Amino acid sequence: MHAISENIPLLLQGIATTVALTLLGYVFALVVGTVLAVCRVSPIPPLRWAATVYVEIFRNIPLLSLLILIAFGLPDVGLTLPYFWCGVLGLTLSSAAFVCENVRSGINTVPVGHAEAARSIGLGFFGTLRHVVLPQAFRTMIQPLVNVFIGTVIGSSLCSAIAVMEITGVTQRLNIQYAQAVVMFLVAGAVYLVLSLGGAYLGGVLERAVSPSDARRRGPDRALDVQAGAQA
Amino acid sequence: MTTSTFRPGRRALVAAAAALPLGAALAACGSDTGDGPSLGGEGGAGGGFADAVASGPVAEDAAIEASAWATRIKEAGTLKRGGTVANQVFSLADTSGGNPTGFDAGITQLLARYILGEDGADKVEYIDTTVDTRETMVQNGTVDCVIATYSITPERLEVINFAGPYYLSGTAIQVRAEDAESISGPEDLTGKNLVTQSNSTGIQAIEEHVTDPGDVQQLPDNESCVAALKQGRADAYVLDQGVLLGNSKADPDVVVVGEPFVDDPYGVGLSKDDEDALDFVNTFLQAIIDDGTWEKLWTATIGEVVPGDAPEPPVPGDLPA
Amino acid sequence: MSARTNTATQVLFDAPGPKGRRRILVLSILSVLVILGVIALGLRQFAMNGELDPGKWVVYLRADYLAFLGKGLMGTLKATAMAAVVAFPLGLLLALGRLSRITPLSAAVACWIEFFRGIPMLLVVYAFLLALPAYGVNVPRFWMLVIPMIMVSSATTAEVFRAGINAVDKGQHEAAAAIGLTPRDSMLHVVLPQAVRLVLPSLILALVSLLKDSTLGYVVSFNELQFQGKTMVSITRYLVQTYVVVSVIYIAINFLLTRIALALDARMKARATGG
Repeated sequence: MHAISENIPLLLQGIATTVALTLLGYVFALVVGTVLAVCRVSPIPPLRWAATVYVEIFRNIPLLSLLILIAFGLPDVGLTLPYFWCGVLGLTLSSAAFVCENVRSGINTVPVGHAEAARSIGLGFFGTLRHVVLPQAFRTMIQPLVNVFIGTVIGSSLCSAIAVMEITGVTQRLNIQYAQAVVMFLVAGAVYLVLSLGGAYLGGVLERAVSPSDARRRGPDRALDVQAGAQA
Repeated sequence: MTTSTFRPGRRALVAAAAALPLGAALAACGSDTGDGPSLGGEGGAGGGFADAVASGPVAEDAAIEASAWATRIKEAGTLKRGGTVANQVFSLADTSGGNPTGFDAGITQLLARYILGEDGADKVEYIDTTVDTRETMVQNGTVDCVIATYSITPERLEVINFAGPYYLSGTAIQVRAEDAESISGPEDLTGKNLVTQSNSTGIQAIEEHVTDPGDVQQLPDNESCVAALKQGRADAYVLDQGVLLGNSKADPDVVVVGEPFVDDPYGVGLSKDDEDALDFVNTFLQAIIDDGTWEKLWTATIGEVVPGDAPEPPVPGDLPA
Repeated sequence: MSARTNTATQVLFDAPGPKGRRRILVLSILSVLVILGVIALGLRQFAMNGELDPGKWVVYLRADYLAFLGKGLMGTLKATAMAAVVAFPLGLLLALGRLSRITPLSAAVACWIEFFRGIPMLLVVYAFLLALPAYGVNVPRFWMLVIPMIMVSSATTAEVFRAGINAVDKGQHEAAAAIGLTPRDSMLHVVLPQAVRLVLPSLILALVSLLKDSTLGYVVSFNELQFQGKTMVSITRYLVQTYVVVSVIYIAINFLLTRIALALDARMKARATGG
């Protein structure tokens, strides 16, 4: 147990770093991903193509490969970021691809008639998206976006490979110092579970808050959305 | 799967290559495709290395039979060695089909020859390990031994056995070539950003010998550490000299400065379960030291990058307290 | 086909008139310029730092380089295949356990699923590498990578199978009961075969996940592609080039798998709606 009590500051710092990586990466990914999704459904072909290429690259590259490229590859072409921001950038780029596909998927679930109705009362592309389609799509997007959040939480652990002292990195280091520190892994595991289950819980609350009261859902449907792809 | 995924890319690249003014580069090196470094082979060790390995002793059958560990290897017909094949001076892969070269590679092949006979040097299975995985791989029998610039430390002796030392290295400092003037020892590292491998002897060396370093970064492998140093994320890379010398040989942008400031005796990592392996390997090390093979090997490998004659060999079995 | 084109994304804008078409053209040209600008800027950075030197790239066509990376690719595919072969059936069993009426079983399975969905695989890998050996649990490095892959993937695929089983029309159960099948038989012979077909695209995506997870072989020094790339960097010092080549290989394989999944999915949807 003393492995923990002696290292409270280090552990707390690791937890804070994990939380910071996750939140920053996720929030940026929401923004970038939504912009990409708008590009993907826009009437401007080059923007659609560019967003598609982006998605195909960043949802198919393993996060570890991406992080190593950003941390150690980019400096060779003249861009050196602090390790922490390399981690945030990697998480953002990767999660944004999944946010984009889930938002697009969500847009596709809105009945065609609604968009047609919006068009017929004179709303333009952005007006239709903003006032009619996205608010409705939002509800169906919550669960997939929670999954992207969990993916970001889990992905943040890989930042330990690029010297970011988040909780997995701290655990690994302390485990080497204290031969029998399985306890350490339980602590780290608990941190991740709290983050991912907490995210799922908040998502559920949000979903109920915006759902019409008669639409009782039977538990979250967590099949892999084929359109959106598999995050790891 | 392999071919079908490679093919489109290859075709595109060939097309691209054809369009580029590559003639000069190709002519200059006389190779089919580009002038990139060979993945080993020309490791600088050359004929001296092969001679050194070929001149090693072979154990008596009785000696093998007396050791359960050696008998097991002899029956398996291969020696499974844990280590790296990416160190230019100690152990470097040769993908053109030959054996890896370097000081550790030589010790490995000599040990294989000692156990498996005249052609034993070719009967080694090289299994990659890293600083994080070495102890575990020895403990669980994935490898018969680890020969990998592996410093003998009291902490490691708690979990595994070490035969040797077979080479006395020391913790040293590597810097970018342009900083070689301003940094020459641990006293110059105050306030500097340092990088070292996680789970390495470098961490302790920094703690004990560097007052108030700047940021101390721990990365999982040598490649990342070199990148961090070259890219200016760190000002100095602290690790044992064996690894650093390999880096300097591969890449003139980084140089080793000053003298080693902490002793790092390299040992052969062995499982505590294989009790008789320790004596067996120590006997082997003593044999190659006594018959001059050790010195030949040193000259053909480390001697290529360190000036002067071969040092006095260490005394196997003489472990640090 | 009509079922697919009439999604909301297609009615967000009208078929443009002459003025609209001109505006789209102008915006298209503008965005092409911006995109090309970004690409040019990137290439300029590469060129300025000497990383576009063709000699640093064409070496990846050389037999020894290809063989070196090929060895890693084989390791990646082996680990992925082995993990899939164990994890997918295990996922199916877990899904059945999750849906079981035996509460303790269902609860235990739920815990397993939530646990392995919620923690990073890297942590599991480190547990196998660093913590468990101290307790006598010590497996070869291939399994140090593959067992965590199985644990994590079984949790994801369990949810996939559960969704698939739930998606099979309730009427199928009732029909099976009507012709006298026991609940077990109806699950085994009626529902499961349909469910497995339904989730096939998702399973292919799970394969993509596994392939990405196999990069953690990097940590246990198992010779998969990412680890071979790392070793190669040490020897050649071509860092950007090696990692770009490695990443492109991953992207190509995963892109292919994703396409297959999408094509399967589209065919099933077409069949479901087209009758």
